[in-house]
Amino acid sequence: MNEPASIVFVVDDDASVRDAVKTLMRSVGLQVQTFGSTREFLEAKRPQAPSCLVLDVRLPGASGLELQRDLAAADIHIPIIFISGHADVPMSVQAMKAGAVEFLTKPFRGQELLDAIQQALANDRLAWHDRAQLAQLRSRYDSLTPREKEVMALVTSGLLNKQIGAELGTSELTVKTHRAKVMQKMGAESVPDLVKMAERLNISPTKSK
Amino acid sequence: MIGMGKVPAIRPPAFALLPYGLAVALVAAALGLTLLLQSVVSVAGYIFFYIAVVASAWFGGRWPGWIAVILSAVAVAYFFIEPARSFVITREAAPIFLEFAITSSVVGWFSSWRKEAESELQRRVDQRTTELREKNEHLLNEMAERKRAEDAYYEAQAELARLTRLSAMGALAASISHEVNQPLAAVVTNADACLMWLSSNPPNLDEARAALESVAREGTRASEVVRRVRAMFANAKPERTTLQMNDLIREVVVLLAALAQRSHVQIETALEPGLPATLGDHVQLQQVLVNLIQNGIEAMRDLSDRPRRLLIRSQTSDSGRILISVRDSGVGIQPKDEKRIFDAFFTTKAQGMGMGLSICNSIIESHGGKLWAAANADHGATFQFTLPAEPAAS
Repeated sequence: MNEPASIVFVVDDDASVRDAVKTLMRSVGLQVQTFGSTREFLEAKRPQAPSCLVLDVRLPGASGLELQRDLAAADIHIPIIFISGHADVPMSVQAMKAGAVEFLTKPFRGQELLDAIQQALANDRLAWHDRAQLAQLRSRYDSLTPREKEVMALVTSGLLNKQIGAELGTSELTVKTHRAKVMQKMGAESVPDLVKMAERLNISPTKSK
Repeated sequence: MIGMGKVPAIRPPAFALLPYGLAVALVAAALGLTLLLQSVVSVAGYIFFYIAVVASAWFGGRWPGWIAVILSAVAVAYFFIEPARSFVITREAAPIFLEFAITSSVVGWFSSWRKEAESELQRRVDQRTTELREKNEHLLNEMAERKRAEDAYYEAQAELARLTRLSAMGALAASISHEVNQPLAAVVTNADACLMWLSSNPPNLDEARAALESVAREGTRASEVVRRVRAMFANAKPERTTLQMNDLIREVVVLLAALAQRSHVQIETALEPGLPATLGDHVQLQQVLVNLIQNGIEAMRDLSDRPRRLLIRSQTSDSGRILISVRDSGVGIQPKDEKRIFDAFFTTKAQGMGMGLSICNSIIESHGGKLWAAANADHGATFQFTLPAEPAAS
């Protein structure tokens, strides 16, 4: 898998803070994209890449904490670093409990923000690989024919070729052919390998007729 | 018998017998006196017996009175009714005896009745006096209690005012620290970015210079915030200059054009040409307008069924003052909130601090004007303020 360059999203309604953070990101060679409100962020077409979000708490419209909640509800996983002009303890506790990477109070040192961003990006890179791997597995699985999918499910549930043949009403030889095709298409080197893939894809043997 | 139906007062036995003794003594004295008188003038009336009966009834009460009547009757019958020295009463003497008996009964009864009436009156007067005294004491207590309650109330009020001031200070401090921390964050971040540009190989001097320029600009902005806060707190009359409100409105509209566009709000102005000038603080009045317009824009944020229009109007009022109004078509003001929107900490916004309108109000008041709000007949609200017109330059 080729990993695209990481990108940092910044949401702050204060243009000067936004620009300052952008300058800082550029100075260390990070890609950055800035937004003035949570809505702008949600409506924008964001590149699919390992990323993290630098988010002001107090924003026009939906606040940063609301955005954090909405993203979680929409199953969008992106590490969040909060920055706040006046942080109170309950606010930061809430943010951290909801999974924020860091909660920085303005004014913060550039290095603090960069450290948090590096950590967040590293996390997301792992998650991104994971997601990319899963996406690849899924597309491979989607390339299987229906019969091959049946065979894969039965193989990974531990049946022998003979049993599968009986189950599907075909000869053992045919099963063997399908099985080889499945292993090849899925890029599996061994049956245990294929079982792991099935687990990740959440495949269970479907009852055939 | 003539009943008088009063229960005699309860007294110790020795004292209870005293009135009867008195009755006996009085009748005996009357008998002695009458006998003495008879021996001198041969004929005597029963006047001493009457006096004895009246006195017994008066001082002794009802029953001693009757005892005196009976004893007198016996004495009279024995000593004075013919034949004397005998209890026999002849037919001729019977009327005289009867007359005595009846008269003494009547005066005895009358005397005791008067006495009881008088005692009753006295008792009532005493009772009433006691009641009055008790009531008086009660009233005095009540007054003292009320005084204490009033003192406690004023104390509580003072405490509340102090707490309100304190929390107002706290909220204000939070608001100010936020305002100051924004530019400071930009300063620090730009400075750090500048260091990065300088330490890269080769150093990127153009980027470093741009970052430093931002540092200078944001530092100035922070100091401007501080200056404004100080001006507001000093309650001084800061930098009063002759201003054209129309110019100020145009400036603010330009300042907020981006926000309006982002929020899909159309800002319209209806500015009266030749509006009189006013004397005021440019930054403060700008702050008021920005606040009112931002509020208006925010009030229309969730609007979908009608155009988002914000109308800013300037005119000369009937009384010759400058009248500025900001009218939106947003959610409007609940009647119950109309009185409270200018209170510190009153907010209907989830993120609001509730300080904006309160500060606007104090600014306009310090300019000798008035700020008020009203719900529109159709949609939204109109905020208006007046400012005194500067007398035309001579």
